[in-house]
Order: sequence, then structure tokens, then C-alpha cells
Amino acid sequence: MIDTEQFLSFLSEQGFSLATGVPCSYFKDTFVSLEKSKEINYIPATREDEAVGIICGYFLGGKNGFLILQNSGLATIGDALTSLAQLYKIPLLMFVSYRGLEPDADFPEHLVMGDVTEDVLEAYQIPYWILCEENWKNTMEQALKVMKDSSLPVCVLVKMGVLSQ
Amino acid sequence: MKGAEVIQKLNEYLTGEELIVSSNGNVSRQAYNFLPQPQVYLRGSMGLPVSIGLGLAISQPKKKVIVITGDGNFLMGLSSVTTVGFAKQNNLRILIIDNESYATTGCQETVSSALNYGEMVKGMGIESVMSIDLTKEKEMTSDLLDQFVNKEELQVLHIRVEIDDINLENIPWHPIEIKENFQNR
Ligand SMILES: Cc1ncc(C[n+]2csc(CCOP(=O)(O)OP(=O)(O)O)c2C)c(N)n1
Repeated sequence: MIDTEQFLSFLSEQGFSLATGVPCSYFKDTFVSLEKSKEINYIPATREDEAVGIICGYFLGGKNGFLILQNSGLATIGDALTSLAQLYKIPLLMFVSYRGLEPDADFPEHLVMGDVTEDVLEAYQIPYWILCEENWKNTMEQALKVMKDSSLPVCVLVKMGVLSQ
Repeated sequence: MKGAEVIQKLNEYLTGEELIVSSNGNVSRQAYNFLPQPQVYLRGSMGLPVSIGLGLAISQPKKKVIVITGDGNFLMGLSSVTTVGFAKQNNLRILIIDNESYATTGCQETVSSALNYGEMVKGMGIESVMSIDLTKEKEMTSDLLDQFVNKEELQVLHIRVEIDDINLENIPWHPIEIKENFQNR
């Protein structure tokens, strides 16, 4: 597992000062660190599309934030991505839990979305990376470079045990 | 009074420093035509003007942020209003132009007529709420918009209006231009 305090410090050094989204248990420890963080302000959102709106508004005001959501929430943010973030070219960093793989065999509610998660991202033309404990900084630097160069949303998929026990 | 007339009236109370987010469809076109430019004119993301306004208000705490939204947009993003009640961002204001319809797509009815906006919004944790019906009263009291723009607190102003009879052209700026013009203001 990645040390979540180090992970958030890295994001804060990269200029992120706001986080919002809807929790997933895969981010349990991340949220504990987030609520303690002095550098990154956290606002709980009621829906993932609302969270996209908040981060886009925050960016229009000149600051950067990121999004945390479960892959089920990818199904909620289609219009927010296509007709806001992508249309206006707003860079958006999204951490999306990758539910519905082998460890989720007992969670049928995640299986269909787990099967189609990468297809959904590809269909929306959103570049994505899978975060691993090894080389996480490298992955994040790549994702952030693409986000900044393209001024568009990018997605970092987070499997079980990577950002929480 | 009609929605466009309310937006024109609002213009009399603005200093030009306010940051304005307007919901997609007619409301954005009216904001583009009748208010100081440039602002955040939404072309899509129906239901998100309030959350975009909240993010902007947190980002720019010294500026007043005004969200102008149709009732259809407001109701689609209703749960984002609860987040506003939670976040209590004093520089944010929300103006609801309630014509009880999705006017932009042909005036189909919304569920607005069933609702008590004053009680609903108060129940969401926003204390300063005003609701007026300009289909009954023909004129707005002059201090209403003055207070809405100038009082230093989180506010919601709900105005029930008649459906517009003007048809404005699409906003000529591409959304990327809307963003860039706003960033460079
Ligand atoms: C997700 C989504 N569904 C439907 C539409 C089509 N649409 C565009 S504007 C609009 C009506 C907006 O209603 P309201 O906010 O009340 O503003 P009004 O048109 O009455 O000025 C609708 C339904 C859309 N843009 N996005």
C-alpha cells in the first residue's frame, strides 16, 4: 500500500488544494489522511457529477483540485465530462476505484461495471493509468503531464489495497 | 415579469466585478446579452451550475459569485444545493429564474409548481432565502436585488417569472473561448 500521507503531500506539492468526490472503501485510509490534511481542503459531494462541477469551477477560479470516486460513479459523470470538462478543456485529475475484479467476487453490484470500466474510459477518450505501489510517483507524473499538456481530464484507476488497507 | 427582464434588472445592481455562472440554454444566452462580459456561460452540464459556482466561490473567496439558474437546472442538481448548505460559502449567491418549465426545449412543464422553494432551501441549511412571485406582483421591490448582490452572506433568491417571449441567438464563443476569456478577465 502507498503511504497515503506521502501521496497527498505529493499532490499538494503538485499544486492541488481541493479534493471532492464520493467515497469508496478502497479509499478508506486516503480519506482519513485527507480529513487530517492542512494543505488539501476536502468537500464531501452528494454525487460524482456535482464533484466534477466543483473541481471545474475551482479551476476556472485559477486553482487545481482532484476527484475521488468509485467506478460506479463513472456512470454518473458522462455529461459532466463530455459537455463541461472536455468541451471547455478543463484539466481534471480523477482517482477511480477499480471495483469488480477478482477481490470483489462477492460484490455482484460491481461486476458489470468492473468488466466495462476500461471500455467506458476508452469510449470517453479519457487517458488512464493503473496505480501500483511500485513506481507510483512515476505513474502520477505521467498522468499529470498528459493532463496539463492536453488540458483535459485523466483517470488513475486504483485497485484494492493500493490507497487503503 | 419575465426571466429576461429580471436578468436585465439585475444588471443595474452589478459593479462588473462579480463572477457569474449561468445555466445552459436561454439563461446563459440572456446572461451573455444583458450582463457584463466575460462570464462562465454553460453550454451543457445541465444540473451543474450550482456546483460550478460553489467551486468558483471557494477558489475566489474575495469575489462575489452569482449563479443564475433556470428551475430545470436547479432541480436537476438539487442535491448540489445541500452541499452549498453544508459548505456555507459567504461569497456565493444563487438566483433561480423559475418559469416552471424547460423553456429552452419548448416549454415543457417541470415539477417546480409543486415546491415551496423557501422552505426547501432553508431545510438544506441556507438561512438567507427569499422567494417572490412576479407573475402576481408586477414589480420587484428595489432593495431585493440590491441586498442579493451586496449583502455579505450566502443567499438564495427564487423568483417565479413568466416565460420569455424573446429568442436570442446562440452564444458566438466556442466553450474553449468562453473559458479563456473568463480566465483572462
Ligand atoms: C442532461 C441534459 N438533458 C437535457 C438537456 C436538454 N436541455 C437543454 S436546456 C433544457 C432546459 C433547461 O431548463 P431550465 O434550467 O429551467 O431553463 P429554461 O430553459 O426554462 O430557461 C434542457 C432540458 C440537456 N442539455 N442536458
